[in-house]
Amino acid sequence: MSFMKRFLSRLGFMALTVVAMSFLIFLLVEIMPGDVAQTVLGQAATEESVAALRETMKLNDPLMVRYGRWASGYIQGDLGESLYMRGVQINSIFWRRVGHSMLLALSALIFYVPLSIFLGVLAGVRAGKFSDSVISFLGLATMALPEFVSGILLITVFSVNLNLLPLTSVIPIGQTLWQNLEILVLPACSITFVMFGYVSRMQRSSMIGVMNSDYVRAAILKGMPKRYVIFRHALKNALLPTITIIGMNMGWLFGGLIVVETLFGFPGLGSLTMTAIKTRDIPLIEACVLFITIIFVFSTFITDMMYSFLNPKIRFKREDL
Amino acid sequence: MNTFYLQLKKSPLAIIGLSILLLWIFAALFGPSLVSYTYTEMDMHNQLVSPGEQGHLLGTDALGRDVFSRIIYGSRTILTVALLTSLLSSFAGIIIGFIAGYFGGLVDTFFLRIMDILMAIPPLVLSMVVLGILGNSTILSLTIIVSIAYTPATARVARGALLTCKNTEYVDAARIRGESNIFIMFVEILPNTIGPVIVEITARFAYSIMMIASLGFLGVGLQPPTPDWGMMVIENKSIIRSAPWTVVYPSLAIASLVIAISLFSDFLSKVMINEN
Amino acid sequence: MKTENVLEIKELNVHYTTLTTTVVALKDVSLHVGPKEALGIIGESGCGKSTLSYAIMDYLPLNGASTGQILFKGEDLLALSNKEMQKFRGNRIAMVYQNPYSSLNPSLTIGFQLEEVTMFHRGFTREKARETAIETLIDLHLGDAVGIVKRYPHQISGGMQQRICIAMALLCRPDLMILDEPTTALDVTTEAVILDLILELKEKYDMSMIYISHDIGVVNKVSDRIAIMYRGEVVETGDKKAIFDDPQHPYTRALINCIPRSGVVKEHVKLNTIPGYVTRRSAEESGCPFVARCEQKNSTCEEQYGMKEWAENHYTACDRAYATDVPAKKLQVDEGSIPDTGDAEHKNVLELDNVYRYFGHAGKRVRAVDGINLTMERNSVLGVVGESGCGKSTMGHTVTGLYPPTKGRILFDGTDISVSWRKRSPDVLKNLQLIFQNPGRSLNPSFTLEQIIGRPMKKLLGIESKQERRKLIIDILKKVDLGEEYISRKPKQLSGGEMQRAAVARAFSISPNLLVCDEPTSALDASVQASVLNLLVDLQKESGASYMFISHDLNVINYLSDQIMVMYLGRICEYGTKNEVVGSPHHPYTEALLSAVPDVDPTKTRGTIRLKGAPPNPTQKIVGCPFSGRCHRKIGKICDTTPPPKVDISETHYVYCHLPPHEMDIIATKKGM
Repeated sequence: MSFMKRFLSRLGFMALTVVAMSFLIFLLVEIMPGDVAQTVLGQAATEESVAALRETMKLNDPLMVRYGRWASGYIQGDLGESLYMRGVQINSIFWRRVGHSMLLALSALIFYVPLSIFLGVLAGVRAGKFSDSVISFLGLATMALPEFVSGILLITVFSVNLNLLPLTSVIPIGQTLWQNLEILVLPACSITFVMFGYVSRMQRSSMIGVMNSDYVRAAILKGMPKRYVIFRHALKNALLPTITIIGMNMGWLFGGLIVVETLFGFPGLGSLTMTAIKTRDIPLIEACVLFITIIFVFSTFITDMMYSFLNPKIRFKREDL
Repeated sequence: MNTFYLQLKKSPLAIIGLSILLLWIFAALFGPSLVSYTYTEMDMHNQLVSPGEQGHLLGTDALGRDVFSRIIYGSRTILTVALLTSLLSSFAGIIIGFIAGYFGGLVDTFFLRIMDILMAIPPLVLSMVVLGILGNSTILSLTIIVSIAYTPATARVARGALLTCKNTEYVDAARIRGESNIFIMFVEILPNTIGPVIVEITARFAYSIMMIASLGFLGVGLQPPTPDWGMMVIENKSIIRSAPWTVVYPSLAIASLVIAISLFSDFLSKVMINEN
Repeated sequence: MKTENVLEIKELNVHYTTLTTTVVALKDVSLHVGPKEALGIIGESGCGKSTLSYAIMDYLPLNGASTGQILFKGEDLLALSNKEMQKFRGNRIAMVYQNPYSSLNPSLTIGFQLEEVTMFHRGFTREKARETAIETLIDLHLGDAVGIVKRYPHQISGGMQQRICIAMALLCRPDLMILDEPTTALDVTTEAVILDLILELKEKYDMSMIYISHDIGVVNKVSDRIAIMYRGEVVETGDKKAIFDDPQHPYTRALINCIPRSGVVKEHVKLNTIPGYVTRRSAEESGCPFVARCEQKNSTCEEQYGMKEWAENHYTACDRAYATDVPAKKLQVDEGSIPDTGDAEHKNVLELDNVYRYFGHAGKRVRAVDGINLTMERNSVLGVVGESGCGKSTMGHTVTGLYPPTKGRILFDGTDISVSWRKRSPDVLKNLQLIFQNPGRSLNPSFTLEQIIGRPMKKLLGIESKQERRKLIIDILKKVDLGEEYISRKPKQLSGGEMQRAAVARAFSISPNLLVCDEPTSALDASVQASVLNLLVDLQKESGASYMFISHDLNVINYLSDQIMVMYLGRICEYGTKNEVVGSPHHPYTEALLSAVPDVDPTKTRGTIRLKGAPPNPTQKIVGCPFSGRCHRKIGKICDTTPPPKVDISETHYVYCHLPPHEMDIIATKKGM
């Protein structure tokens, strides 16, 4: 399959996934117990007012019609109106939260990707030695900790005992995140913990696989120095699976964001999602979950393309000589 | 079995992991009858007691409930749900993954695409949203939802394990003596995938604990007053400065259990997959 | 006058420490390689020949340790540091490996991988290095050298990859080149070309060479002197001729005699076999490594064992002459007629009527079997020979029903079986059995032999009683030389040869009429192959079953078959009785194939026909003759545009070829084997 063909087929599948997911999410909220209008107006509302609201919200239309309306609103960039915060356009709060979360995810990313690749490679090259055992154990342990547990441990050490960093990540009213960058540190570290374990372990095992390959042996027996073999021959091949892992775990990262943002009270997409669920704010739930899905699907797509591009076996077709 | 035992003897980390896991299983089975308080019992005179004082080994929380007892009781629910989840999702995953991989072609593509679409939403987000919408989680709903969220992943593992065996000649040999597909899948192939399957179940066990604790932490897990480790953390997070033990000990319980299972599962994968 | 040796190995010992034991990989190995000399090392798998080559390169796994001396031009390589050793690797001593594809880095261009060698060892600039690389590639007769250096390894064919690897080894004009089974992964016609090339380059560059192989024919072709290894020890060394004419060590003799070679056919000769199988060597063991399997062992085997000079330049570790049994000792073939089985109405057990089998979808359709017409007589052995990808296995699998034919009809004893196994009657399933190439994969590792052999009995013969089945299983196990105790063993507890015999037992346990054998011995060592071949011959005589025997190895095919069919790219090239095809081939491809088979007899050397290029892409639709692109006797455009006609040479012998009759006669008189 040529690169272009692969690109188009993945693009098509990405679109299909987003459409299917949007429908699933829409359907999911439909099954929510209780009447939406009743929920909005509260238990004290009269039957008439509930019926009237159902009419204005066009809740009596058939499912597909409502889905069509909802989806076309999204395509035009209209995320709808919040149910819980009456009269608030979701667009007005949503994108700022997304921006915060992106910044948090990014700061975790630039932290854990180089760190875990470096240590993973180191452990892989020194497989079986002491430094490998230490790195591997650290990876296993951090991977096993849910984000809130590592978060609590970090808070206990750095906020409670050392009093170095803020305990919560709330932005004071009237200020922006940029003025409070220190609140990013602990949440980003909590995410780094989990991701570090996962990525470094993957990197280690792919490095070991490559170091045991015939072509690395051939390179060493060609008389190339070990350091050169590691960097020129082994690393590129060993990084390929890691790229996939990092991309595939964007979803995990977002799951983690919800937990971490809840723990620290960080004003991001994750805590917004949580609030939406707690307050049963249907349009907001739909917007948040769909957005997380799109981010995830898109990052998978990018990863796949990067992988294909970096892998000559996919990029260059075999020609018969 | 003998070599398994020999290798276990040479892996101190696996022994530590297994011992801690067995300790927790023991605590879950017999702990509640050994501790001096129940999980709802409020010691009104001894609120926020520091660990070791007034007969409270790990202190009490703001309502005067014994942290140690709550952790012990909590181990019961989390281990039960996690065990059921890992078994259920592995079982469903094996069925789906085997059918998809064995028949291949369009069947495979169909299942794979569905799995890919389901995997487009992170398991934690999926479980959280569904449980949040349904409200009032019970052990049953928690088990089912988390199992569904994990099934795409286990199905992929099972499919992969099947594919390594599917193209072997013993499957061909079974075909040309006219065996049924069910026979080939579950009598010829399944025993040969037992290594990866067991490793997957134990790894899934660890993931399930992380997931259930996280759901509890987010408040969509089991409802109070059922003791839940994740919930204990979020309930007391606001008093972390004054009473850190109310938060730290449940966190350590989660950490020790998950790390223990991971260590053991890591060992299993080395022994059962790499050695073959 | 004695010139200084390029390499001299003195008392080299290598052992590996595992969790539980110490395994001896090499024991007291002493060898030397003179200037411009080619030393061939022969041994079965697990005899330490690869360990030896890595020990020379000072590249052993972490749990391996070596003692002794490896003198390269007087300098002890084992005493060097890793850094000092780098100067030798790839520069003075270079190595070529078995699997060229995995030995090349998939993410770097071929040019880059060639250039770095001279850039490091010679300090060349990239431009100069590229120039050298291209020059070397041209030396290897690679046409488009400039184009090739820009490619990635996966873009070129296997034969081409191995030439790249050889070029890589030659870049610094090494004094010694070690070749570790360099042609084992290649097809026989490609192998022939590579072997010629290696010989040519050795002359051109004045190199010494160590050539390691399990294939006696190949070693015979390329080496001057030969060393035989067994279980980590050299048991005999000598000039090529001396080893073949006058082998001394019982293992050497057994090995040479267990291989079917030209002129050895089942009608006259039973293959020599070596009882038992190769086992790991523990640190405590001493004496002759072969003693457990040796038929002539006595009390001196342990105490007086050691290398002694037998004749000039001929050293052997066992100097007791057993002249009487070499090489004349051939087990006698018992005469006797094959019982006729099956339905007498149908003379032919199998008929293929224009059978096609395609894979993949339109546009990427692989034509694995591309129109085969064939009849197979009852009680006969049809040998199907061809190189990898010629569709021989697919044809066998289509016959057994693993896939139904895309087009065409298959008749088995007069019954139409052009369907997959799912739609075949139990009777057909019972009478048509398949033996696979890899016994380790054809026996389910989770079951015991009783379960494995018992299941078809229950399923296809309907024997429900467990006792009855067990009795029959023990009987059939005895027939394949496995004792009663094997009944409760699982495949992992068996050696390769035992596994394949168990697989044969499974197939014969339900007395089939036709047995399709898909390369049943190619995964086995030479000594084990012989016993399986003998077993198959005996069982056929006893049961009267017919065999479709599929193999890439012409020697094996020649030994076993009554009729031979030569396939190329899904089609038949030539069909006839054994004597007709091997004795007077009429198709250019058969001619090339026969010429490519390395001969075991050192007195015979013959010119190989070098085929151009690699087989065409099987997804291409072929209009004319599939072989035309590589044919050395192509007559013109007609070969590309018109399918070759069927030309009857005799009643039982035909070819598909455009060649005029007199040219075919030329092929026939030149003869192959």
